[in-house]
Amino acid sequence: MTYVVTDGCIKCKYQDCIEVCPVDCFYEGENMIVINTEECIDCAVCEPECPVDAIKPDTISDASKWIALNQKYAEIWPNISEKGEPLADADDWADTPDKLAQLSENPAQH
Amino acid sequence: MSLDAVHEKSEFPIPTGVFAQTVTSVHHYTERLFKFRITRPASLRFRSGEFMMIGLPNAEKPVYRAYSVASPSWDEELEFYSIKVPGGPLTEHLQRIKVGDAVLLRKKSTGTLVNDALLPGKRLWMFSTGTGIAPFISLIRDLETYEKFERVILTHTCRDVAELTYGKEQVAAVKDDPLVGEMAQGLRLYSTTTREDYPFQGRITDLMASGKVFDDLGVSAISPETDRGMICGSTDMLRDTKAALEGFGLTEGSNSRPSTFVVERAFVD
Repeated sequence: MTYVVTDGCIKCKYQDCIEVCPVDCFYEGENMIVINTEECIDCAVCEPECPVDAIKPDTISDASKWIALNQKYAEIWPNISEKGEPLADADDWADTPDKLAQLSENPAQH
Repeated sequence: MSLDAVHEKSEFPIPTGVFAQTVTSVHHYTERLFKFRITRPASLRFRSGEFMMIGLPNAEKPVYRAYSVASPSWDEELEFYSIKVPGGPLTEHLQRIKVGDAVLLRKKSTGTLVNDALLPGKRLWMFSTGTGIAPFISLIRDLETYEKFERVILTHTCRDVAELTYGKEQVAAVKDDPLVGEMAQGLRLYSTTTREDYPFQGRITDLMASGKVFDDLGVSAISPETDRGMICGSTDMLRDTKAALEGFGLTEGSNSRPSTFVVERAFVD
């Protein structure tokens, strides 16, 4: 059992989830954050923290797609354990649906 | 080499980024339950009711499990209350710890069973089964709980009478405590069993549905205007108690969206 980050996060990266994760299982790309599904302990604390409801349990209907995406990038992007700033135009993208085409495969640059 | 000597010799280095703490006391209640206390890292801050990840320095990559801190945020030590799972990756070893042994703690505390996640109310109900009582033992020792709520009712349901001991002992200790005792005089403990004869028997959800818990305590039924709830226990218990509270008109909240009840899901199997 795991939680996954869905496309609501793309181009936002609000990062409220980072602060509450007890196992630091979030990984950061250029414009999205994902969960390492093998490290997540399914504690559910992050789910309600996301202001755009991007975090979902693995019981949603299209969970397998999101588990695969989260695990793929968790293995190549750097770990993030401390909350940073949301992307500059996060609020402009917060309500946009179906943002998967906007996903950058690049890791976060700090 | 004796087993004890093997146990004391840690072949594995302390991983980076975790606290290594020392066990200060261990007490076994039953064949399935024990509590232990460890030193508190000087830099650790947590909110009463939160949980942390605990491990042992017995592998290259230690196994961590979520444990509620049973001591309040002001305590000098950290207390935990644990089951012993035969063959469990962590508890099989954790149940053998002794005073002086090292325990690993990941650095972040988190959780939803915190006063911050509830809107103000008059009565706070804490519903627990088994070791799910631990976060509430933290909260009933925190003055903030009594500053926020006029009355606090802790329910604890276990299979057998012996499994109720920890809760009874801790509630009695809170009432005797020089710091919080006076504020905690209105604290009520409602213990029930499901498999052994006891004056109060049955699952808390059945006792709420029948109204017996309210009759036994001599209090009015739960209402969203006055009551707030916190739930910690087995998967089935969480589901059923959540449904019961929703039936009384309460709604689930979280740290970012405080409401009238909260659920801890970190320990479900």
